Amino acid sequence: MANPAVAVLESALRERKLDRTLTTALPPLERTDPSAVAGTGTAALDAMLHGGLPRGQLSEIAGARSTGRTSLLLQMMAAATRRGEIAALIDTFDRLDVSSAIAAGIDLDRLLWIRGDAIANAGSRSVEAHLQVRLPNNLRDRALDRAVKALNLVVQAGGFGLVAIDLADVPAIALKRLPFTTWLRVQRTIEGSDTACVLVVPEPLARSAGGLTCMLAARTSWAGTADRSRRIDRLDITTRIVSPRRRVDGEVALAAHANEQCSARLAL
Amino acid sequence: MFGVLYAAPGSEPATLIDIAREFSPRIEPCGPLEIAIDLGGLTRLFGTAHEIGHELRRTAADRGVRVRVAIAGTRTAARLIVRHRAGVTVIDPGTETDAVAPLSIALLDAIAVERTMPPHRAGAMATPVSGPPSNELVVTLRRWGLRTLGEFAALAPDDVAARLGQEGVAWQRVALGQDAQPLVPAVVEERFEQALDLEWPIDGLEPLSFVLSRLLEPLSARLERRDRGAAVLHVRLHLVTRTVHERSLQLPAPMRDARTLRTLALLDLESHPPDAAIDRVVVAIDPTPGRVLQFSLLTRPLPSPEQLSTLMARLSALMGEGRCGSPMDMDSWQPGAFAMKPFAPRDSSDSHSIPVDSMNAAAPPVIALRRFRFPVPARVRVEDGRPVRVTTDRPGVSGGRVQTGAGPWRTSGEWWSEAGDAWNRDEWDVALSDGATYRVFRERDADRWFVEGVVD
Repeated sequence: MANPAVAVLESALRERKLDRTLTTALPPLERTDPSAVAGTGTAALDAMLHGGLPRGQLSEIAGARSTGRTSLLLQMMAAATRRGEIAALIDTFDRLDVSSAIAAGIDLDRLLWIRGDAIANAGSRSVEAHLQVRLPNNLRDRALDRAVKALNLVVQAGGFGLVAIDLADVPAIALKRLPFTTWLRVQRTIEGSDTACVLVVPEPLARSAGGLTCMLAARTSWAGTADRSRRIDRLDITTRIVSPRRRVDGEVALAAHANEQCSARLAL
Repeated sequence: MFGVLYAAPGSEPATLIDIAREFSPRIEPCGPLEIAIDLGGLTRLFGTAHEIGHELRRTAADRGVRVRVAIAGTRTAARLIVRHRAGVTVIDPGTETDAVAPLSIALLDAIAVERTMPPHRAGAMATPVSGPPSNELVVTLRRWGLRTLGEFAALAPDDVAARLGQEGVAWQRVALGQDAQPLVPAVVEERFEQALDLEWPIDGLEPLSFVLSRLLEPLSARLERRDRGAAVLHVRLHLVTRTVHERSLQLPAPMRDARTLRTLALLDLESHPPDAAIDRVVVAIDPTPGRVLQFSLLTRPLPSPEQLSTLMARLSALMGEGRCGSPMDMDSWQPGAFAMKPFAPRDSSDSHSIPVDSMNAAAPPVIALRRFRFPVPARVRVEDGRPVRVTTDRPGVSGGRVQTGAGPWRTSGEWWSEAGDAWNRDEWDVALSDGATYRVFRERDADRWFVEGVVD
């Protein structure tokens, strides 16, 4: 334990027999059963994770904008649907780009897409009109509340190989206002099932004891020199995996490539 | 003794069944225009076989249906005869083989066609056969020089079996006018409906749920006894305002669990509530044969249709109509175009055709776009024809200085359409100083800029 303060805290908890909530106090999970993990569809990541995302656990993909969160999520969903499983995406603010989902290789027939409210002034495109609507907090909170309820309904129904909730655009303060029991309830529901649950969040929020956290950072690589010939070539994603009970703690480098449609575009 | 009614083309099959049921409960439809009736015991009611035949024809004529009637000791003989002779024909018991012997061998083809064709097509084919036969057996028999059923019946059964197999022997029995199986009576389609008159009007869904449970539980038990499932659930609410609030739920798969049906009905009524208090509740079910389940050890099972339909109903009630389902690509170049369809995953047994290697294949991720469903209006400073600064008023999308940009990519479309979906724009991918990469575009007609999404 690197941090002495944490070590002192843990020993104090142990003295009072309150250490069962500490992930470091629990025995590590050995994953030898391949059916206990859901492959992510990325060889390097799967190798590091000993097979993939743990089933029956709550994992999370955390990162800022343009760090490849959505690319990685769609990759995981494509892998799930390729295996013949069904996947669900709770899209809190209706951000899914269907063309990207197709490019990632998702079997759309096996994807349940639950679209939250796209908070904006539908039908009007003027800056002035948009300013008047300006994301009222109650609308945002209502969208978040609905998304969490939808997540509970989906995990309670069961039968899904992968369930993801996209909270990437929810402000951190709104996420922190959610009672922590929200995620405990989700974890209790999926425990022992074949469902791998993934949160996509701007910063780590609620990994379960057996789950993992993928913290992403990325750099966009461009091809070409002039504006008119330049295009996004790839996204170099650095994924830091944290999962104490699974003895996984390290980094893996991934490269997300531009889809063919983007690459084939011709500038004027 | 069996009678066969053969109606003229264009007759209503349901009317024919009603006519047959007036004479005997033991009837068997042989096609949309043909029905076999067990006439056993009817002689004491109507008289001789001839009198029964004429009574059948008269009753049909009263209903506006022209029919041929044949009565014989076997259904097969009656079916063959009725296609050959108009009016009423009665074959004495024991003479069926002689009676059908002179008939054309093409009649076998007509019977075979009706056995194999779906009912709606069989109705179209029910006219006397004149064209080339579709049954390979009849073609073979004709090639052998056989023209009548008697000639086919006269062949030695052992030789027929040696050359045509068991199927040939079965058809030879037909040519002899013998029945291959006993008559299987058609069961009257039971009506699954329950109603309850309330002493006091009820208002709200909570008391209604108890009423629905009381109505659905006996219906569910009856469905189970008959091995039927509900295909459509009708709920009719008679209101105190003398109006009827009716809802029909198309169920994705046959189901008969009372709790599931009640939940689905309540969720639907939650979205479409009645205007006033309820006086009378009627629940009706359109039955369909029960579902046969075959699980596999090799694939993960999908949720049952009951679970899926309940989940979808709950999600629709929570998120709104049309907000849940499977995305569908559209035949359009319009950026962000998509459609929604009901979530109905195929059985995972289809995945047997997918090679195992491709199921586990790992491929590099593809860069995705997080699309703002309504593009965010932006202020863009342009220098030398390229954007150098992008800012918006949307919290969280503050923007910044353009560090790297690529574009413009000009696209336009639907300008020929009057639906107002035309677009004409220049797209740019820009990496801003806030660390993110965005896709922005300029609407060329209005000269306005928008942020379309974030490359993520």
